[in-house]
Amino acid sequence: MIELVNVPSLITVQDLGRSKYQSFGVPVSGVMDEVSARLANYLVGNEDNTPLLEFVLKGPTIKFHSPAVFAVGGDVEVKLNGQPIKAWRSYWTKRGDILEIGILKSGMYGYIAFAGGIACEPILGSCSTYLRANFGKALSSGDKLKLGYAILTGKEGKQLPKEFVPKYEKENIVRVILGPQEEHFTKRGIETFLTSEYTVTSESDRMGYRLEGPKIEHSDKGADIITDAIPLGSIQVPKNGKPIIMLADRQTTGGYAKIAIVTKVDIPKVAQTRPGEKISFKTISVEKAQEALRRQENLMKAIKFFLRGEMRAYKVKTFGEEIIAFTKIEKKK
Amino acid sequence: MLPKFKPAGDSAIAIIFGNEISEEINKKVHAVAETIEHASPEWLVEVVPTYTSVYVYYDPIRISYSEIAEALKPFLSAGPKKEEKRIVKIPVVYGGTFGPDIEFVAQYNNLTIDEVIEIHSKPLYRVYMLGFLPGFAYLGGMDDRIATPRLEKPRLKVPAGSVGIAGKQTGWYAIESPGGWRLIGRTPLKTFDPHKKPPSIIKAGDYVKFVPISEEEFQEIYKDEWGEER
Repeated sequence: MIELVNVPSLITVQDLGRSKYQSFGVPVSGVMDEVSARLANYLVGNEDNTPLLEFVLKGPTIKFHSPAVFAVGGDVEVKLNGQPIKAWRSYWTKRGDILEIGILKSGMYGYIAFAGGIACEPILGSCSTYLRANFGKALSSGDKLKLGYAILTGKEGKQLPKEFVPKYEKENIVRVILGPQEEHFTKRGIETFLTSEYTVTSESDRMGYRLEGPKIEHSDKGADIITDAIPLGSIQVPKNGKPIIMLADRQTTGGYAKIAIVTKVDIPKVAQTRPGEKISFKTISVEKAQEALRRQENLMKAIKFFLRGEMRAYKVKTFGEEIIAFTKIEKKK
Repeated sequence: MLPKFKPAGDSAIAIIFGNEISEEINKKVHAVAETIEHASPEWLVEVVPTYTSVYVYYDPIRISYSEIAEALKPFLSAGPKKEEKRIVKIPVVYGGTFGPDIEFVAQYNNLTIDEVIEIHSKPLYRVYMLGFLPGFAYLGGMDDRIATPRLEKPRLKVPAGSVGIAGKQTGWYAIESPGGWRLIGRTPLKTFDPHKKPPSIIKAGDYVKFVPISEEEFQEIYKDEWGEER
């Protein structure tokens, strides 16, 4: 069991979200940055969809009431019993140990994964918190959470090679697939969208990020559409011409025209952009976006097996470029 | 028009059946959505039917966009079944503390409160889709004579079950939430319960009939539904 001793920001339990119930109006929710969250889970030997803690900007202080293995994902200073330790590395803790997580130096969301995960009763098949429907809650000081069962031996001391540590930038170019309602915008409107730099505003949360920047011109079809579904990363442009990127806790349907949808691989980049930081957009074909996703998923799989000790990683130089190659470790019979 | 495929990002495809709100188009939408869901191919994540389109969420690791467009074609011929209308009765207490805006709705439309209740509880409303918030049903068929603009300043907290009007639309809040609809009444039913399967007593394609009830009846049903007094 762990206890949240100090909770300085919105901290929630999340997994990869609640699918299958959008047709009943239930939002997907789940972690804002899937890549960072999954990497944190890999470090403690968990599967991808294991419930973990997500925090915004400022990390909590946690007291361990039983032995555990944990890892912190994020660009942040971490202390265990007052001694500095590393993010993106798993550690073994004893009963009574205190984990202090500082303020993120870059990025917006950080993660704390525990071997075995946070134990929870799933609601509609998921442990993701969705506050508007009281699925789970915003955690507060004094809250105690049970951890799931895990064999702890051999899960500590895993470190994510620095090549794979996510970098959170202040200026991001995000790839999008145009549409599905691009005809609601003029040619000039689409050009404005693709050539301008937008700033994330403080009116941004797990539901979506409102952007400030040059106004996007609608065609004579206007900003409103017959209410339609809202996939993750949908960029809605209401009448005021300022785009809103819809994220984890977005409503399932809405009535604003969507100029484009962010590719799945670039969602973490958007999620980690803070208010005041910049986003610009460039188009990519569906085929290319799916190819990029397949490459990312192959790499994620390799990292997962590498951290489990089932694969070796090598630095290889090809055409003057250093890349990392993985090979399987054959198990002795 | 022939259904049209459109990518909706790299993990969803929209099948678009038309561009107007009509019962005929919406029936086609639900027939196709149901058939895909029923077939449940391995790449399927979920299907979301809307007024005029079906959004198919899929796993792009298992199937590419060009493959999915091809894989979906056989489903498009699904015609609306000779549907028995599933009618769900929603009991409602109109007015009073349960519907604080009913007087405004009446005045705005030059009607009496009783006329508002009569006009609102008369039609058989079609559930075109669910969306926006958990369990929220988009209904079609409200009489224009009771159409009323939204509140200028939304309420911070609207209790679950509140029935309201927003422009030419009517519906009820299935869960407590902030909201700007003009509230004319409240149902004691727990129409959305995440611990039940399915979580909503309403599904897209159903028909809804509002049935006026008394406050005493409300209290009785409320206790049964929510396991507590209001």
